[in-house]
Amino acid sequence: MPERLCTIQPKTNGTAVLTIPGGRNSSAKNLLEALKRQTAALSANRDVKGLIITGTGSGFCCCPAEGSASFQDAAALSGFGQQVLFSLEKIGTPCIAAIEGECSGLGLEVALACDFIVASRTASFGFPGIAAGLIPFCGGSQRLARLVGKSQAKEIIFSGDLMSAEEAYRIGLINHLYPEGEALSRAEELLAHICTRSPNAIRIGGEIVNAGYDIDLHTACMLERDAFALCFSSFDQREGMQAFLDKRPPLFKGE
Amino acid sequence: MPYKKLRIETVNRVGYILLDAGSRFNKLSITTIRELKRAFTRIEEDDAVKVVVLSGYPGESFAVGADIGQMVHFSPDEAFHFAELGQSLFARIESCSKPVIGALNGITMGGGCDLAMSCDIRIARESLMIAHPGARLGIITGFCGTRKLPHIVGKNAAREIFMTSDPIDAAAALRIGLVDRVHSCDEFWPKTVAYAEQIASHPMTALSAAKRLLNAAEDTDLRTGCLLEREAATHVNTLQGHFR
Repeated sequence: MPERLCTIQPKTNGTAVLTIPGGRNSSAKNLLEALKRQTAALSANRDVKGLIITGTGSGFCCCPAEGSASFQDAAALSGFGQQVLFSLEKIGTPCIAAIEGECSGLGLEVALACDFIVASRTASFGFPGIAAGLIPFCGGSQRLARLVGKSQAKEIIFSGDLMSAEEAYRIGLINHLYPEGEALSRAEELLAHICTRSPNAIRIGGEIVNAGYDIDLHTACMLERDAFALCFSSFDQREGMQAFLDKRPPLFKGE
Repeated sequence: MPYKKLRIETVNRVGYILLDAGSRFNKLSITTIRELKRAFTRIEEDDAVKVVVLSGYPGESFAVGADIGQMVHFSPDEAFHFAELGQSLFARIESCSKPVIGALNGITMGGGCDLAMSCDIRIARESLMIAHPGARLGIITGFCGTRKLPHIVGKNAAREIFMTSDPIDAAAALRIGLVDRVHSCDEFWPKTVAYAEQIASHPMTALSAAKRLLNAAEDTDLRTGCLLEREAATHVNTLQGHFR
């Protein structure tokens, strides 16, 4: 069953961990299909407050981009992969990628679609597919260039080399660099902390950041104004501000 | 008309707009925002000023967002108009023909962070604590921050700042590019002044043209940007030849 490729473990604090196995043997299509099903299930489940995506053992879904038999197949796989990762990006709850080992190929594409990436010192990152004539196909080239700049992205994709976690931290590919073996536990702590904030503000903020990034400043600010005003019809806004004035922790409902 | 929340002075061709709301934190109230708009309009027309320094020095804070006690009762309509007012201030700062240096002397939160991001260059005092605490208050920022922060520090760093709502210090802000320089508490002001005076020693036409072009670079495609540059360079570089 494809679900074995991609399993969800709910945590007692309302967050969930989505584990993608390491190894180079899984097929990109099967993995994307499993990811699509899990993303749809998570989107429909309002009880899940936050998500961590991680790998098993030392690997994080490092299956290489696969070559396809025909142009049609390659185009279809790329279109499908892009749709799946757009859905993941729009999941509406905070989503952190926690990387302990190699995160490459499709694995890096998935990590780039998360809100941000944290990793331990043993992690490595790259798109090794170039050696076989393959390039990222699920939005990875575009997300990588926007995140670390065009030159860094070109170096990563042209060389096919795996980059160390230290280097990834230096160029801003990952937000935090943790000691060996701590990526998942530290990501869980960080996610639990984020989940004390307003889910409504986080969801709207995520949408506006994504929508505003690729359009001009003026139009983006107009969008933001409307979204800001919308917050003032929410429970979370009244609760958050009243709690601040009362000097007590807020109890957000996400509405 | 005198200012209630600001102090303004000009020394050696540098115009200082100093937030001084008379309390521990410089809140970006409607009054403060209106005064800032007025101050930037005045300074734009003042030929004696070539560079602007915006700061809360020597106070404890640069600027924090609006008064939560007022904002808690905002209707969506009032919130919209408040965002509009703030955004109109930042548009004025960005369209100001003079370089604007944000001298972040301390606590910089929410709208204060957005105010800092409307400046051309940000210099921080070592004691800087900077945050975007909207998610702790149940809101997002309405002062252009959702567009500007991801472009300055990268989308992922920005998302973490928004989601956690936690302050980051000067070293972290420097690492991700949110500030351009950090100085120790003692050196902060003299170095800021020296830096502003150095920039002010350059010809105004070149500074203004460079500011316009660099702002345009973010929102235009490369070819259009290069056309703008050619027009500006032709004009500016000719002027320098004539009036040197």
